[in-house]
Amino acid sequence: MAKKSVWSDNRFWQRSAGWVTGFASMLLIWLTFDTIPQIMLGSDEDLQQGVTKRVPGPTVINYKITYEMDTKRGHEIPVIGGANAEGRSSFQEKETFFGRDDWSEEEAAGLLHLGKLGSQTKNCMNCHTLLGNGAYYAPDLTKAWLDPAWGPNGPMQAMTGKNTKEEAMAEFLQFPSQYPTHARMMPNLGITPEEAKGLVAFLKHMSSIDTNGFPRNFGKIEGAVHGK
Amino acid sequence: MFEPFVDVVPSFFGWLNQGPLTLTIFLHTVIVLPMFWIYKQEKARLEQEG
Repeated sequence: MAKKSVWSDNRFWQRSAGWVTGFASMLLIWLTFDTIPQIMLGSDEDLQQGVTKRVPGPTVINYKITYEMDTKRGHEIPVIGGANAEGRSSFQEKETFFGRDDWSEEEAAGLLHLGKLGSQTKNCMNCHTLLGNGAYYAPDLTKAWLDPAWGPNGPMQAMTGKNTKEEAMAEFLQFPSQYPTHARMMPNLGITPEEAKGLVAFLKHMSSIDTNGFPRNFGKIEGAVHGK
Repeated sequence: MFEPFVDVVPSFFGWLNQGPLTLTIFLHTVIVLPMFWIYKQEKARLEQEG
């Protein structure tokens, strides 16, 4: 009788498939739990004690946020409250947000919640991308707060007649069709002043999230944050 | 290949994924090596039966 090959033996393939499926399932369950501490929202206490979290607490809206190249990690990272000697967040420098830099955790969380609900009801993702979800019909909003176009030297503050980034953004959000910024103009969505405030807080908080350098080319835009 | 861990939140997979191909090589190793063992077991069984 010819010698039976292992390769044509059913049991070998069954056991191999069982092993691969079982291992992959365990790995996916582990990865799910491994992700939780990475995406957990930080707190005001973390910010005050200088603890860097991937997702900072809502009171990050009280701080100055910049986008700096981290040579070790090979991409830009959000730096909260100015950089320390190592180029990481020092949580020292504050910045007023709609005239205040003392938003409490409850107030800030309320604003972010309003902004999040607003972004969902107005379906921002239908055109924009937020943290990798959405469309590329309109600009990526993940780091919109850090876009120099809204800064003191950018065109948006002059165009909207406002003196601060947050006011210029809120004005644009309420009356986008008055301010032509793009060949594909944003329609008026009936955003109220309070909703606009929430949306800007939502965008500012989102820009402070460490996204491992996503969107990848954001800092490389000519004349932008880490422009080349 | 081994550099200081610079990720924000320490994680086993973050540590594993810091260099080129490290995660891929690790996963292929742990998935494929037991298949050699399964192969040998099945070969021994077939020889015994034959």
